[in-house]
Amino acid sequence: MADLNSKERMAIPFVHMPLNPGEKRIHNFLEVPIGYTAEQAMQEARRCIQCKKPGCIGGCPVGINIPAFLELIEDGKFAEAAKKIRETNFLPAACGRVCPQDKQCQAVCVVGKKSDPVGIGNLERFAADWERTHGTFTAPVIPAPTGKRVAVIGSGPAGLTAAYELRMRGHEVIVFEAFHRGGGVMVYGIPRFRLPLEIIDEDIKMLENMGVQFVYDMIIGNVLSLDDLLVTEKFDALFIGTGAGLPKMLGIPGENSNGVYSANEYLTRIYLMQANDFPRYITPIEQGKRVGVIGAGNTAMDTLRTAKRMGSDVTCYYRRTRDEAPARTEEVEHAEQEFLNWKWLHNPVEIIADANNNVKAIKCEKMKLSEPDSSGRRKPVGTGEFVTDEIDTIVFSLGCDVNPIIPATDKEIRINKWGIVMVDRETNMTTKEKVFAGGDVVTGGSTVILAMGQAKTAALNMHKYLVGEIKWDVSKIPTDPNAPGIVWEGKNK
Amino acid sequence: MTEQIKSIIKDIRIDQVTEATRALEAAARLTGLDDASKTELAAGLAALFYHDLHGKTGLIRLASQAEDIIASLGTAVLPFLIGELALADAESAAHFGRVIARSKAAAVKPVMDAINSHRGDDYAMMNLIATISCFKDPAALEAIPEILVASKGKNERLRAEALYAAGRLVRNLGSDRFDDTLRLKMFDTCFEALKDKNPLVRRNAVASLGKIAEKGMLTPDQERKVRDKFKGLLGIDGAHNWDNAYIVRQQAQQFFKFLKEDGKAHNRYHQTFRILEKRELCPDTYYYSIDAPLIAHKLVAGQFIIIRANEHGERIPLSIAGWDAEKGTINVIIMSAGRSSREINMMNVGDRLADVVGPLGQHSHVKKHDGVCVVIGGGYGTGAVLPTARALKKAGNKVYGIVGARNEKLLIMEDELKQVCDEVLVTTNDGTKGIQGFVTHAMEAIMKRGEKISHVLAIGPVPMMMAVANMTKPLGIETFVSLNAIMVDGTGMCGACRVSVGGKTKFACFHGPDFNGHEVDFDQLMKRQKMFVAKEKLALEAMGK
Ligand SMILES: Cc1cc2nc3c(=O)[nH]c(=O)nc-3n(C[C@H](O)[C@H](O)[C@H](O)COP(=O)(O)OP(=O)(O)OC[C@H]3O[C@@H](n4cnc5c(N)ncnc54)[C@H](O)[C@@H]3O)c2cc1C
Ligand SMILES: Cc1cc2nc3c(=O)[nH]c(=O)nc-3n(C[C@H](O)[C@H](O)[C@H](O)COP(=O)(O)OP(=O)(O)OC[C@H]3O[C@@H](n4cnc5c(N)ncnc54)[C@H](O)[C@@H]3O)c2cc1C
Ligand code: SF4
Ligand code: FES
Repeated sequence: MADLNSKERMAIPFVHMPLNPGEKRIHNFLEVPIGYTAEQAMQEARRCIQCKKPGCIGGCPVGINIPAFLELIEDGKFAEAAKKIRETNFLPAACGRVCPQDKQCQAVCVVGKKSDPVGIGNLERFAADWERTHGTFTAPVIPAPTGKRVAVIGSGPAGLTAAYELRMRGHEVIVFEAFHRGGGVMVYGIPRFRLPLEIIDEDIKMLENMGVQFVYDMIIGNVLSLDDLLVTEKFDALFIGTGAGLPKMLGIPGENSNGVYSANEYLTRIYLMQANDFPRYITPIEQGKRVGVIGAGNTAMDTLRTAKRMGSDVTCYYRRTRDEAPARTEEVEHAEQEFLNWKWLHNPVEIIADANNNVKAIKCEKMKLSEPDSSGRRKPVGTGEFVTDEIDTIVFSLGCDVNPIIPATDKEIRINKWGIVMVDRETNMTTKEKVFAGGDVVTGGSTVILAMGQAKTAALNMHKYLVGEIKWDVSKIPTDPNAPGIVWEGKNK
Repeated sequence: MTEQIKSIIKDIRIDQVTEATRALEAAARLTGLDDASKTELAAGLAALFYHDLHGKTGLIRLASQAEDIIASLGTAVLPFLIGELALADAESAAHFGRVIARSKAAAVKPVMDAINSHRGDDYAMMNLIATISCFKDPAALEAIPEILVASKGKNERLRAEALYAAGRLVRNLGSDRFDDTLRLKMFDTCFEALKDKNPLVRRNAVASLGKIAEKGMLTPDQERKVRDKFKGLLGIDGAHNWDNAYIVRQQAQQFFKFLKEDGKAHNRYHQTFRILEKRELCPDTYYYSIDAPLIAHKLVAGQFIIIRANEHGERIPLSIAGWDAEKGTINVIIMSAGRSSREINMMNVGDRLADVVGPLGQHSHVKKHDGVCVVIGGGYGTGAVLPTARALKKAGNKVYGIVGARNEKLLIMEDELKQVCDEVLVTTNDGTKGIQGFVTHAMEAIMKRGEKISHVLAIGPVPMMMAVANMTKPLGIETFVSLNAIMVDGTGMCGACRVSVGGKTKFACFHGPDFNGHEVDFDQLMKRQKMFVAKEKLALEAMGK
């Protein structure tokens, strides 16, 4: 088949990902996309025209050699394809599922100019799943020990990637995690129907087999401070990947009523503490017949779809329209298949509770979009018209601010006025010597793959620093408290 | 021999329920016996132990009653019992062993003497070693060298019995009693015995190593060795030479969990979260000391921790009643409220909590004041105010403690508080002890003495904290309360613990738990605490199902 020409290849229609039907899946937490069969995968891989100067690679934050792995899939060499991806991305099964490919590799794929771009994400997922289910994975060989010890703080995608990259360079790595299990937001935020637990656990097991040590229930800052790690525990370098964990609320009246959750609390109760399996797991969640979710980002989509699966009538409240919704297109589409109610152009202004402090209604102002301003953005403006809906449970899904624990316990770490840890854009060094940072803690909230990309940069520079190739240099770290974090992709786009 | 004893012995020998019951009732009534008669009586009753009780439920019950009566005769009958033990068959020996063990410390020496004099008599040794391993008295530690020798003897059954006994002593005596040399000896002996050709010996060696691991007595190196060995026995090391005896594999499987540590890596940052001490303070309220050296090292007065009892558990916040940085322990007081607290209160010394997270929250407010400081505790709060009381005292303040309870029986930690405070006032609602009334009455009593109160800390039920704050507010006395909002992560990540303080939303876990009592919206706090009552009831009902 390799003899197809570009034109023939581009004529092949996009192979749609088979999905569990909406009316069935809202009753369970099983994964929504079913995954390609081998034939479907090979067919979809055939659509890649193997560009001489592939745009997709540059569109991938970790620079996966996409045409190479697509070609391997086309030839039916699935294990090799997975291996190829692993050269640059060690969480392919997770990334294939949760990366916003529509804003990255697939957005620049030339095939997409005429029809649908190549389903790179679907194929990444296929290769990773094939490797996992067929057991073809072989643990990488670790080089001789360098004698250097590094501590990684946080076990989200940033922390795991840093651990992997540093271990692969022969350093001793210990990961400290505040919760009782690893994975960060991939476990306690992203729903099981998008990312099953086994996948994360498999990757953590691989790291353990490579000799990375994990210490759970360990809040760095409170139990051991950064100075403890550096001075008494004699780590040669530290990586901070503690994520964005401080929930945002709107500050409207009635927010402290019973039945009002932040998405963090709601999703943590369900996915980390398994409240959906109550009372086998004894963490409770109280959810009424009518649930309102405020916001329309990825987190909001996840909350909406989770609340539906918990058996309620669920409504999304957002002050702009569907077109401005910050969530991934695919997520909005999947959510739209799941029998939810949408109240676009509704801005919540008050939560009304009964005498026992239980939520009973939500009051919203109807909005309209302004004429585009100089930057072309259309702002929502109030119409002065208000509506009140009866409601039993409200979940605020407005994103997060940066986790404050480490900056609060170590004043040498410089943060900006939003609490984002300031780092050198090239090396990911912080203002404290021997300490690097990456992931949501330096961006204020982005994506799994961007967190991984930064962790890779940080790990590479940590390695260089550890072996003496580069010196500590904080001169380029912004001092202005209004300076933004290092990347802003994924935010309000 | 008295007539009574004679007739008792006669009745017992008939081997029928009616007569034996009559005999035991008569025996229980006997008083004022001399040592000789006691021994005669014991011998008579012990005849029951030798009966073939198989299937005779009535007599089995009576045999255990007989054990009680013989045990009540005290140490005078020990020589007789030990003499019998040395000769008894396995089933009867179990009865004798249990009775002997009830004499506790007093019986250790006679049994040890018997061991010394029966050396070479393998059969007697088996019974004696089995018996001494039932002891919970530290004196039984003396027997360990003897047991270790026996576990290398010629007789397979004796080796097996001795290895089993070694493990049982570990469980009974707890890890504290074993010093490093003894631990090493035990480890080496048991590990060596894994090579024994007799499967029963191997099985018991596995059980002993398992119990040693369970009590956290292995060094990391030993632990790795045992883990690798167990993997080999179970055939999960990929080498395909697992132990061919099912009993060995089955035992290894049972204890493997203590070596895996739930898959968590073992290094110097590993804390076992094992319960080292448990004490009942009053009904449904227990005091615990937990192994958590890293946390103990960092705790400051006012901070709290979060515990998850098991893999299915919920994260519940608990105040700290004290800690010992050197020993690496933290102390908490847990009152049974619903499912989670009850589940922990059913755990025992040696058990491990799945997770202990902390220290969480901010330090309490400690400085030198002009006037006196008052710490007020109700319920678990009496323990929770201790660390701050100590810190206030250390800062040079005069510190009064006030403990409130509904009645005298529910008063806890009074003595501990007395050791820290200049004076402790007790109030009970029903007046069974101290001042009748509420903690606020004790405050009034202090003020009546003309003392100027500059600082108050109240921890306990919300209505109590509210009453204190309401009383001090018009007087302008600085008052802090510790807010027990419902929490999940305890690090400021979820917002479950939102409270209103001074009209602003605060996270009790991160900004608190101590807040200015005059600014707290107690009404909202109380209502928010009820958010999950329906589910909490269901969780409790589902307990044990
Ligand atoms: C609901 C939801 C859905 C999302 N969906 C997507 C998606 O579909 N695709 C996508 O690409 N991205 C998605 N994201 C964003 C993505 O999950 C994050 O950008 C990414 O996880 C950031 O990784 P991180 O490693 O920086 O931080 P995190 O994943 O937040 O991990 C930080 C870890 O550090 C730990 N930690 C914090 N403080 C300490 C401390 N003091 N000591 C020790 N450990 C500490 C935390 O417990 C946590 O485990 C979503 C986010 C949410 C909330
Ligand atoms: C900072 C702080 C310190 C505390 N210190 C102690 C202590 O030292 N000793 C002690 O016995 N108790 C203490 N508590 C209270 C303890 O956490 C609750 O009693 C416990 O969570 C009850 O759980 P349960 O499942 O047994 O009861 P449930 O049946 O779940 O609940 C009984 C009541 O306990 C409260 N509660 C339930 N879950 C939580 C939760 N996750 N967080 C907080 N409160 C909850 C609610 O008011 C509920 O109505 C403290 C609470 C806080 C916030
Ligand atoms: S841009 Fe598209 S067509 Fe070109 S190599 Fe990448 S995936 Fe293939
Ligand atoms: S318990 Fe989650 S923020 Fe306080």
